[in-house]
Amino acid sequence: MLIGSINAAEAFIQAGINSTSVPIAMLFILLYAVLVSILMSVYAYVFGWVERKVIAKIQYRHGPTYVGKYGILQNLADFIKLITKEVRYPENADSILMPLSLVALVSVVVFIILILPLTPSLLATNMGLGLLLVFVILDFSPLLLFITGFASGNKFGELGAQRSVLMLISYSIPLTIVVGTVALAAHGFNIAGVISAQSSIPFILLMPVGFIVFFIAMLAELERSPFDLREADSELIAGWLTDVSGPYYALALMLDYTRMFMGSLLISILFLSGWYGPVFPPLVWLLIKAFIVSLFIILIRTAVVRMRIDKILRMGWIYLLPLSLLNLLITFMLFR
Amino acid sequence: MLTRINIGPIHPSTHGVLHLVVDLDGDTIDNIEPHIGFLHRGVEKLVETRMYMQSPPYMEKIDYVAPMSVDEAYVAAVEAALGIEVNERAQYARMILLELQRLASHLFFIGALTNDVGQMFTGFMWGFRDRELILRLLEEATGQRMFYVNMRLGGLANDFPKDFKEHVLDTMNYLSGRLKNYESFLEKNPIFMQRMKGVGVLTKEDAIAFGVTGHVLRASGVPYDVRNNNPYYFYRKLNFREQTLSHGDNFARYRIKIMEMRESIRIIRESFEDMPEGDATGQMVKLRSPPVKNKTVTVSREAPRGEVMMYLVAGDQKPYRLSMRTPTFINLHVLNHIAKGNRLADLYSILGSLDVVMADVDR
Repeated sequence: MLIGSINAAEAFIQAGINSTSVPIAMLFILLYAVLVSILMSVYAYVFGWVERKVIAKIQYRHGPTYVGKYGILQNLADFIKLITKEVRYPENADSILMPLSLVALVSVVVFIILILPLTPSLLATNMGLGLLLVFVILDFSPLLLFITGFASGNKFGELGAQRSVLMLISYSIPLTIVVGTVALAAHGFNIAGVISAQSSIPFILLMPVGFIVFFIAMLAELERSPFDLREADSELIAGWLTDVSGPYYALALMLDYTRMFMGSLLISILFLSGWYGPVFPPLVWLLIKAFIVSLFIILIRTAVVRMRIDKILRMGWIYLLPLSLLNLLITFMLFR
Repeated sequence: MLTRINIGPIHPSTHGVLHLVVDLDGDTIDNIEPHIGFLHRGVEKLVETRMYMQSPPYMEKIDYVAPMSVDEAYVAAVEAALGIEVNERAQYARMILLELQRLASHLFFIGALTNDVGQMFTGFMWGFRDRELILRLLEEATGQRMFYVNMRLGGLANDFPKDFKEHVLDTMNYLSGRLKNYESFLEKNPIFMQRMKGVGVLTKEDAIAFGVTGHVLRASGVPYDVRNNNPYYFYRKLNFREQTLSHGDNFARYRIKIMEMRESIRIIRESFEDMPEGDATGQMVKLRSPPVKNKTVTVSREAPRGEVMMYLVAGDQKPYRLSMRTPTFINLHVLNHIAKGNRLADLYSILGSLDVVMADVDR
């Protein structure tokens, strides 16, 4: 019954978006955007809890236990605490740019998830160059991070932002090359097309090297451990977030998980054959795959040490870039 | 152009209240100026106003990660000044407790170090969990989890409880298995090795010139350990070997700690075998102490962080003057020398590998 209602809702929204009347289509796209934002927030919330619990188990701790059953409401309590706090800006901070760039960072993520098709029929747009657009928008985030760090008027924030921009710029090159390779294999930049090209065999089996490069570069793009330079808890206090306070800090924390959701969706769409799978409806399959990828990303955090910025750049330029080119070459041979 | 940043005194990785003014050239450290003294309590002067056995609680707060090590050095100095003998069983008991304390302190070091290099809390929790087992043993023996105050003139406040030996040996068996886990978890991690090997190198000559002791000195290839060079209690009889490595980098300092933990486990096991029957209880705390026998005494001990030295000029009933050498003030001294020219991220791992306790620096 649940599956039936999901399908019905999908068809309803899709019909609205495809409506010939422009106002109705706009309205439905707005509705879809609200639904995607809710999905994203729920995912961020649930994953915030899952990360705390799973990592606690590995580290012989209990994690949150006090608020709600198994501490499920702990993040809500933290959120309420943060949004009721006073917003304070340091003397040198730019009180307009700093919150604005944080909001822009969140909207980048929402925009990307909006472009991604969640099921064969549920998609806001089916443009031919969707994949290209996603990665063009994704490359805005270094700039916005840089602005946030610098606008915070704190040297730790600046250092965190500098490091993160250095890293993101050098990692977005292999990332983009791998995306180009995937498009080559799928004969186009259409995202739905990329998924349907994997209906028989997912790309992870066709180009394992490309997957590894993409995964590492994506970890860097999401700035998860071992690439968590911009925060670098034990080095830069909280890096770019050192002087971000109250509700904006809550926003930045949520940003972390929504970005992880975005990254996991991209990995499952580009390499894990997206919504294809038996029994469950496409949306559920996509979410399951994204969930597993996210789980893997947070498990990495428990085992690795933070890399140093020079070593990260070295790895990006000396290993990932040639590997991504090699992957391109092999894929070209296979699919030409 | 140099950027000047203030790290601390409130910062996750300065191990307490250390304030570092760091000049950065890009991401490279140009100069470090440590500002200390936030925890200064004037212990040396306080001691002069107290009767001899009123001071141990102050001594325990000097190095709060390994309280017993400083306390024992002070009590040993008072014993030497007053000419009080410690019986054989009490000497073995003190050795066992001190080695347990060393294990707890080294586990703390490993936990804090993994945190400093950015391994967020897995190693930290592992270290602290295992440290807790040792603290539980110490609690069983002394009644307190952290600040024991169980050293008495001529022995301990009380003898070991029943079954203590079995509990200790069980924990030692568990711990020697855990050490393998630590090694495989950290040393098979290429990023950890990258962050530790060849970083913060202190040469042998510099180590001697700076006067560092403990694991910092031994990691630079100088075979100096008070337990071996100036042995007290039964360390010579137990065939104690100091652990030395020659690289002098972060990894050597970390590795020395692991090797010392193995050695401590061995010492504890052998001490229990050799320990005679009898009573390890010392004198009750009395305000009036016996007349002074030696006017000035110097007692030197190998604490977990390096050499603790007590220079006591005994007065009637109260110390006339107590001068202390605590290890981490001198060990912290080399920070600027070895961290200069490294990346900012390495500053924290170097500081972590020096194993400073700020209360011990500031006194």
